[in-house]
Amino acid sequence: MLRRIASHLFWTARNLERAEWRARLLDVNYHLLIESPPRDAQPWAPLLAIFGERELFAESYTTADDASILNFFALDTDNPNSIRSCINTARNNAISLRHYISSELWLDLNTLYLNAQEWTPELFISPGVFAFFADLKDSFYRLSGIRQSTIPRDIAYDFMQLGIMLERTEDVSRMLDVKYHFLLPRLEDVGGSLDILQWAAVLRSASGLEAYRKRFGNSIRIDNVVEILLFDPTFPRSARFALAMLATSLNRIKGQAPEPSPPSTQLEELLVLMNSKRSLEVIKSGLHQFLIQIQDGCAALGDEVFQRYLKVD
Amino acid sequence: MDSTVSETGRAVPVWAAYKTDAGVFDEMLDLSSQPRTGCEAVIDTLFSMPPAQFAEICASADRMFRRMGVTFNVYGAADGSERIFPFDPIPRVIDAATWGTLEAGLIQRVRALNAFVADVYGDGCILSDGVVPRDLLLGCPQFRRAAVGIKPPLGNFVTVAGIDLVRGADGRFYVLEDNVRTPSGVSYVIENRVVMMRLVPTLMRASRVRSVERYPADLLQCLKEMSPSGKSNPTIALLTPGPFNSAFFEHVFLSQQMGIELVEGVDLVCVDRKLYMKDVHGLRQIDVLYRRIDDDFLDPLVFRPDSLLGVAGLTAVLRAGNAAIANGVGTGVADDKAVYAYTPAMIRYYLAEEPILPIVETYLLRDPEVREQVLKNLERYVVKPTGASGGYGVVIGPKAGEKELAETRERIINDPSAFIAQPVIALSVHPTIIHNGSESGMKLSPRHIDFRPFVLLGAKPRVLAGGLTRVALREGSLIVNSSQGGGSKDTWVLEA
Amino acid sequence: MLLRICHTTRFEYQMPAYDSHNEVRMRPLEGANLRCLEFDLDLTPDASTVEYDDYYGNRVYGFSIHAPHPELIVAAKSLVECTPGPPSPAIPMPFGEYLLEDHARNRTEYDFLNASRHVPFSEPMRRFFWLARPDPSEDVAAYANRTVAFVRDQFVYEPGMTKVQSTADEILSVGGGVCQDFAHLTIGVLRLAGIPARYVSGYLAHAAKSKAETVGAQASHAWLEAQLPGWGWTGFDPTNGCMVDERHIRVAIGRDYSDVPPMRGVYRSHGGRQLMSVELKIDPQPELLRPIDPSSSSNQQNQQ
Repeated sequence: MLRRIASHLFWTARNLERAEWRARLLDVNYHLLIESPPRDAQPWAPLLAIFGERELFAESYTTADDASILNFFALDTDNPNSIRSCINTARNNAISLRHYISSELWLDLNTLYLNAQEWTPELFISPGVFAFFADLKDSFYRLSGIRQSTIPRDIAYDFMQLGIMLERTEDVSRMLDVKYHFLLPRLEDVGGSLDILQWAAVLRSASGLEAYRKRFGNSIRIDNVVEILLFDPTFPRSARFALAMLATSLNRIKGQAPEPSPPSTQLEELLVLMNSKRSLEVIKSGLHQFLIQIQDGCAALGDEVFQRYLKVD
Repeated sequence: MDSTVSETGRAVPVWAAYKTDAGVFDEMLDLSSQPRTGCEAVIDTLFSMPPAQFAEICASADRMFRRMGVTFNVYGAADGSERIFPFDPIPRVIDAATWGTLEAGLIQRVRALNAFVADVYGDGCILSDGVVPRDLLLGCPQFRRAAVGIKPPLGNFVTVAGIDLVRGADGRFYVLEDNVRTPSGVSYVIENRVVMMRLVPTLMRASRVRSVERYPADLLQCLKEMSPSGKSNPTIALLTPGPFNSAFFEHVFLSQQMGIELVEGVDLVCVDRKLYMKDVHGLRQIDVLYRRIDDDFLDPLVFRPDSLLGVAGLTAVLRAGNAAIANGVGTGVADDKAVYAYTPAMIRYYLAEEPILPIVETYLLRDPEVREQVLKNLERYVVKPTGASGGYGVVIGPKAGEKELAETRERIINDPSAFIAQPVIALSVHPTIIHNGSESGMKLSPRHIDFRPFVLLGAKPRVLAGGLTRVALREGSLIVNSSQGGGSKDTWVLEA
Repeated sequence: MLLRICHTTRFEYQMPAYDSHNEVRMRPLEGANLRCLEFDLDLTPDASTVEYDDYYGNRVYGFSIHAPHPELIVAAKSLVECTPGPPSPAIPMPFGEYLLEDHARNRTEYDFLNASRHVPFSEPMRRFFWLARPDPSEDVAAYANRTVAFVRDQFVYEPGMTKVQSTADEILSVGGGVCQDFAHLTIGVLRLAGIPARYVSGYLAHAAKSKAETVGAQASHAWLEAQLPGWGWTGFDPTNGCMVDERHIRVAIGRDYSDVPPMRGVYRSHGGRQLMSVELKIDPQPELLRPIDPSSSSNQQNQQ
């Protein structure tokens, strides 16, 4: 496999995953704001913090109201990580992949891209906005479904998995990090009364509310939320699950090398981190620090993958 | 679509108004409207179809092409739309006897062209013997001095050739132009056939049409034969300029059909005078590169230094004999329009044979007497720029206005060796479906066509049993290429 | 005379260069009056070289350096022996007679009779030629000399007025240039007159006995050779308005500068500029009283 093609596969997949996370977070938070009036003057601050885009937002927008936030996160092509930007990047990477992915995947992605070019701020005016998010969610589900059912489990699939799972791990830990910070400023509040709606929203962002209830019942506890989103090996959007998938694909790629190569130190470290902990212990010793470790580990792993497999120049 | 209803109330077939013209050669019907050899089955089946069925066939073909993604490229367009090269479902038929002559003529021609290229980059015998003027060759911008000293495997500079043929009013095939640099179009030939097989399978089987599907396998075989190392399984790759090139579809198509890697310049690197591609697991050596980029962009160390499409050091790799490219550096000398006038002489010189396929009579305007004659009657000729002219287009005398003729005359006088002139050829015509949007819906009408068969030169020559028939969709137009309103037809070469 | 030449080119890269591919044309070109006794190409970083002779017979050294490097030093060291030899007898020929063979000459010497990248047959060039055009009765060799002197007189030698990529049109428009431009312009005039003329790149050493005022002495230099009846390829130095002598050391010949750059290369980097500096040393060596015998174990250096 050519490095350039591996790079395109990686970035197409990663950008779609990124776009999906943003769509989910935007959707859930928007619903939250509608259902319960905001507690403080800056209801969108957590979202900006999750993506580290406070400064970028401030550069071009004066007020953080619904309209400007939605524009920034969804439509603004000056924001390289807006939903539309991510879709554009994914599609432009996929142009060179026509003979590596199925025609159905290309057509569907291209259709999403063409539609995204037509999005306007008017879409976000209620009640149309609910349909918009519902459709968008469907688009991502469909793309994921086409990918899963048409791409043979070969090296192309593995490089896409690397992109998806790396992004998933980072995004779920980032989301947890910020939500925890904003919703639970004091350690004493752990186990105490929570903003149930807020935490339910966190779970819903990951489509994990039902999975939570199945495992833990109706009562929402912080440590259980952290447990399912970080450490559950069966839940598809947990960090641990994502890392396991990543490890499978990375090891398969390594296994195809003509010469044996040393295992990835970055991956090993991340796996040790994830597999040895439980949520309560992590919360006690400091959830924020733990999540930073994960994010740093992902960044380092991403670098390693880039240097070893994707770098062309 | 509505069918035409005559006064008697019965539907009129789409070919009811079709007329043949004495001045041009109609490929399907002779002057008494009788089918030509091999065309009987097509006429019986297709021409008697009711218009509604015809319409369905056309729509079906369009759907198939879209689904197969047979487009010519508009990736760069903001709306991401892609256009289908218009397709006409009436096939062009060539009977076995006619094809036999064509095939022999094409093989002869490509062998001579290849010998010519090898000679001018080698000992230059044809130049020392005065058969082709040395100054004509040296003045040709496609003569690449850096190619002198490169000895490709099998002595093959030309591996893939697309020879453009036209049929004159006398029914004879003439060579219009040779394409031995990066000839394209074969993917349409193969895809057109796939569609036709689904549209009219019974008719095809009954007609006993020779297959074209072997082309990618044959091309792969030729490329393998070009491998310098004698390896049993050489690594072959196709070098493309990338997705924004209009022929990208064909590059993807051929690389997939042959099972070889599709690479761009950025994927390549030359180390120790060997060519490699950048694989995720390290460097993989390439033995033969099927390149679909022009010489100018091939090696920034030797040619255009700003080129990102090629790879620095490739010429040194070729000189060292560690890789081969198809087609070789500098083959453009053989498809220069002035050199074209000498191709019959080349056939005699290298093969000691008389040319089987005639060329169109060509007047080299660098000769003062010839020039004077042509300038006197400029409106009767087609004036074409040679490689040395740097970008002027073809001027069709009878169609050009006063101003254009005057400008052309001016240019010729200023730089005579930059132009050649040819008499106007009345290209043959072929019944083509024209959607005329009127109440009658569609009709069959004669349209000008040309023909591009493909010849492969490996250890031995192979000719694809078929080729790309391009049709000028606008009435009276002689312009057949895709960007200017042309379309294509499937070409049926019949079994003997 | 015996000369030891050391031509060092140094490239410094603001961001390290990598995947660097280069061709060097720095080996003195042997001829009737020049023998190249030794030649070495020292590269830093080290790299192996591959040699071949290009289309015009110049010896080319190719090398590549893939690993990132902050600088590249190319040192071409040679030992040459220049012997002034008697020229072939001149054959006087007036232009009227000379041009009868023009067609035939265009076939054998096409490259040196027609326009090339730095020598366009443009409007300004044709106009300039018209000023200096030959008379049909004029002797060809005399015309060549006259042209060389004419160019020398009409233009001022001054660095900075033109650039490396300039064609001969540039010196015509700004009125001055360097040896490269003088050579290109003279070549253009001679070609338009029908005399084959080719570009020579090389070195100009000090004269053996005197260090008389010479433009561009002890430096890289450019001049031309014209093919004259009888004399054959004859060297002219339009920058100094004279014919070439034993100070002129030929390195490469071609249609114009683009065929003979001392070094041509491409490389990749993550930005930044390339700074180039050149150092040239030409040192006369003591003459040997005996011819060099490669088989003798001790080469005695004899006193002057």
